[in-house]
Amino acid sequence: MPMSDREIIIRSLERVERRIRANRLFCELSFGLSLFLAIPVALKLWDLVSPFTARGISFLIAIWLVAFAAYAGRRMVRKGRLADAATSIDKQAGLYDEFKTAYWFIDNPRSSEWVDAVIRRAAADAQRLDLDRLYPKVFPRTSYIAAVMILAFVALNFVPLPWNHNWLNLEAAPALILTEREQSLLDQAKDLMAQAELMQQSDLAQQVEQIMKQLQEGKISPSQALQQLQNIRNMLEEGNLDMGSINDGLEEIAKDLQQSEDLKEAGQAMLEKQLWQAAEEMRKLAEQMGLNTPDDMRQIQDSLQQASENSRPGLEQLAKDLKDAAEDLRSQDREGAQQSLENAAKELESLAQKMAGQNLKNQASQRLQSLEESLRQRQQKGRDGQQQDFDDEAQRDAQEGEELEDQDGPGRSTSATGKAQQGQPAQQPGQPGTAEQANNDGSGQMPSGNPNAPMNIHGAPTKLDVQLEQETLTGMHEQGTKPEAIEEASKQERSKLDYRNVRSELSPAQKDLLNQDRIPWEYRPLIKQYFQAIRPASKQEK
Amino acid sequence: MSTAIDRQVETFQEQFKRAKEEVSKIIVGYEEIIDGVLMSLLANGHVLLEGVPGLGKTKLVSTMSDVMHLRFSRIQFTPDLMPADITGTNVVQENAMGEKFLEFQHGPIFSNIVLADEVNRATPKTQSALLEAMEEKSVTVGKQTYRLDSPFFVLATQNPLEMEGTYPLPEAQLDRFFMKLKVGYPTVESLHTILNRTTKVQEPAVGRVLEQSEILEMRKTVRAVPIARPVQDYAIRITLATHPKAPYAYPLTMKYVRYGSSPRGAQALVIGGKIRALLSSRLHVSCEDVRSVALGALRHRILLNFEGEAERVDTDTIIREILEKTPEAS
Repeated sequence: MPMSDREIIIRSLERVERRIRANRLFCELSFGLSLFLAIPVALKLWDLVSPFTARGISFLIAIWLVAFAAYAGRRMVRKGRLADAATSIDKQAGLYDEFKTAYWFIDNPRSSEWVDAVIRRAAADAQRLDLDRLYPKVFPRTSYIAAVMILAFVALNFVPLPWNHNWLNLEAAPALILTEREQSLLDQAKDLMAQAELMQQSDLAQQVEQIMKQLQEGKISPSQALQQLQNIRNMLEEGNLDMGSINDGLEEIAKDLQQSEDLKEAGQAMLEKQLWQAAEEMRKLAEQMGLNTPDDMRQIQDSLQQASENSRPGLEQLAKDLKDAAEDLRSQDREGAQQSLENAAKELESLAQKMAGQNLKNQASQRLQSLEESLRQRQQKGRDGQQQDFDDEAQRDAQEGEELEDQDGPGRSTSATGKAQQGQPAQQPGQPGTAEQANNDGSGQMPSGNPNAPMNIHGAPTKLDVQLEQETLTGMHEQGTKPEAIEEASKQERSKLDYRNVRSELSPAQKDLLNQDRIPWEYRPLIKQYFQAIRPASKQEK
Repeated sequence: MSTAIDRQVETFQEQFKRAKEEVSKIIVGYEEIIDGVLMSLLANGHVLLEGVPGLGKTKLVSTMSDVMHLRFSRIQFTPDLMPADITGTNVVQENAMGEKFLEFQHGPIFSNIVLADEVNRATPKTQSALLEAMEEKSVTVGKQTYRLDSPFFVLATQNPLEMEGTYPLPEAQLDRFFMKLKVGYPTVESLHTILNRTTKVQEPAVGRVLEQSEILEMRKTVRAVPIARPVQDYAIRITLATHPKAPYAYPLTMKYVRYGSSPRGAQALVIGGKIRALLSSRLHVSCEDVRSVALGALRHRILLNFEGEAERVDTDTIIREILEKTPEAS
């Protein structure tokens, strides 16, 4: 069915309006996009200098998207009028308001031959006109700018710099970057805990790893991480043995056992805290039970009886086993005595394992505490907005971490060895150590492989990382070296390192309390005078 | 497919062209002036021609009357010219019985084309007699009103230089002219043509190519041309922009104009635009048509203020600014 003149004109105008709108939209959107793309490019450049976290990027990109969507939406909603399209087509085709007039009369019908003729002529022109040629698809210059901006953004993401994060691969800087020292502490704590867990079937190491991962990804805040690490430490310290009491008890038991010739070696081993060896000696005694003379048996019985009376918290079972063995010997129940001695040997082994595990846990707890301390300091600095200081600190920490790693290296190697033993205690008394273990400088990471070395149950000794610098005194060359000058030079030696890494046994809360110093120095006398002035008269007299 | 309207338009163009060609045989170099005069005639308006003496204004008008099959009369305006000299008067007559009676003697205004030469030299009273006839298309003498023949077309001329002893037309009367056309000096090429034609033994002769009925039919055709509201709106905004207090006023208007155009100016724009549209083979008026007649239609309708007069501002400058700055409606 052929279209009427009015329909032809309206169709043409609608088509022109769509094309004008599309071209306008393309122009405006490409212009807007080129402007808007400057923002992510600038952000990406900024990211190369100061990396954004995933949360930061998500936030900025979300704002960018919302703003651009609002801009684009606003532009797209704007629809042109057919009258405007008519004006445009008149200008483009040089029709001197023919379409404008025709459209107006279509919109405002009038019975007139002349009006009909105007519409008819406009319809004929509409069919004759090549609208695609009159309104070609326009590629504005701004679209090239937008393309360049996109290329720049993509290229920036692929800049081969170690600190560059490719946003296109959904990479971002972690919310928190651990310094090398912190990473070292974390690794050590994890290793120690993993060893302890092998003995006690727990998954604290995994929990710590999870916490740090979440912290680095920004899923939890530093204060939440600190709280969770504190909980882990509390869990590590739960059920700790009273090591002092146990050591004292073992010492007394050992002395009592040494009164018998047959138990002397077992006692000596216990005295040296070589509990695995002591257990072996117990077993040997049980095996040789039939070969002993009645006098020896009596002596053994007395020693066992005397030793069993040294019951202390943590040694109850050992005392009971020793007592059972003494009673079995008294009742000449040799098999019972052998069984009781076997039980005592097992108890000793269990005790050795518990003590080794606790030692590992203590060390892990100390590492965690150091890690917490470091994170807390950074959190505090972050609040103060001292980002520059933070970077410097990280750099210093990295240096210190390297030094710490050098010092802890042998201990960590031992840990690795212990880990490889799959469930076995890292070290057993009396067993020969590996070459690395033999080289252990006794910094206390693990029990030494040396059977004669005492078990360090209090952890590694605290060391001050002090590096002294020699200063030259004036006049030394002229006057020669005198004892006074040497003494003076010694006094003027200065440390090049600060003392922040000195380990403290104090809890953070205690440190905070001790370090509170909010009163300026110059005001202290005034405050003191004030409080003295307001003291009651009776106290003032005193 | 040729329709009746198309044929009507073709006829209009053909008649207009024929008349113009005939006039152009005598009048050289004044295409726009000839167009303006013919347009005013077809618009049922009158023309004020302004130019220095000797440029062929009178010749143009006489040639126009020769070309059209119309009655022509010429009135030379002088200071002692009386209204009755234009309109005519009652004279005492005696019949065969010897009885005396008053009989109206028609003045020169009772023609189809009237040339009012140097119209600003007559007194205002006399000017008013002419201008009233122009507007009312009738003349009242005593108690009797006499209708003027249609078409009634006045072509007035005035000299802008010799103002001594003249009576410039008041603004209200200027407004009654459909167009004011400025007759400028011809170009060298045109002068050559003029000299070639007028200094030989045989001067070119013109024939009558347009009948009275044809002119009236052409007038009807002009009125039939439709104009869309946006184009009409454009004409109105141009007219309003000549008023210094109007919201459409532009800087020059606000600075130099005391009063702007009356609605007659808008009428002139639209009717002139319609004629232009027909001459361009269009069935509708465009903004371009309105613009093309704006100078002639508005220049005599804008009254300058003291500052404008002092600075000798040309109203054409003001109109050009208006045309340049007034946007077309869509």
